[in-house]
Amino acid sequence: MMHEVPEIVIYTGLAFLLLALLLSFVRLVRGPSVNDRIAAMDLIASIVTGFIIIYSMLWKSEFYIDVVIIISLISFIGTVAISTYLRQKRKSS
Amino acid sequence: MTVYFVSILLLLGSAFILIAAIGLVKFNNLYSRMHATTKATSFGTLLLLIAVSLFFNTPAIYIKSLLVIIFIYLTAPLAAHSIAKSFIAKKDKDSKKQKD
Repeated sequence: MMHEVPEIVIYTGLAFLLLALLLSFVRLVRGPSVNDRIAAMDLIASIVTGFIIIYSMLWKSEFYIDVVIIISLISFIGTVAISTYLRQKRKSS
Repeated sequence: MTVYFVSILLLLGSAFILIAAIGLVKFNNLYSRMHATTKATSFGTLLLLIAVSLFFNTPAIYIKSLLVIIFIYLTAPLAAHSIAKSFIAKKDKDSKKQKD
């Protein structure tokens, strides 16, 4: 069975996440090194999972949780792949 | 009663992710930035997943949320470690260049 959550709470949570997305985008554009940009991309993937979790509460559809699993898998693999590639490149040169 | 729990957990989780983003912008060092993002984001996602599993209240959602929580808490430190390792390699390379 499902419970009713007031819409104002859901929209406030979405507003917090939107502000967080804006701030991490500032770091993504401005970051002095590539590693700062990788950290910002990692945070953006987590914010997108938060968006989807709250969206599933807004539309009362429980199938969106599968999307969260997939995004958390792909973001981890992407982060590790890029930073390992950079590390190998910097070591060899 | 559950409505209050779900609302509080939802607001706290999104507030934790917002705090992580503020830390990412405000700190002036890569290590401090990762200290802000890794831990606070994992905890915020944990709170959001508990909120969504209390909201739907079916066994499948509980199992999937537990899976995601375990996965996030296993992989967030690994990703931060890998980013820090590549940053250390860059610093080594720069100091070697300065010596030559």
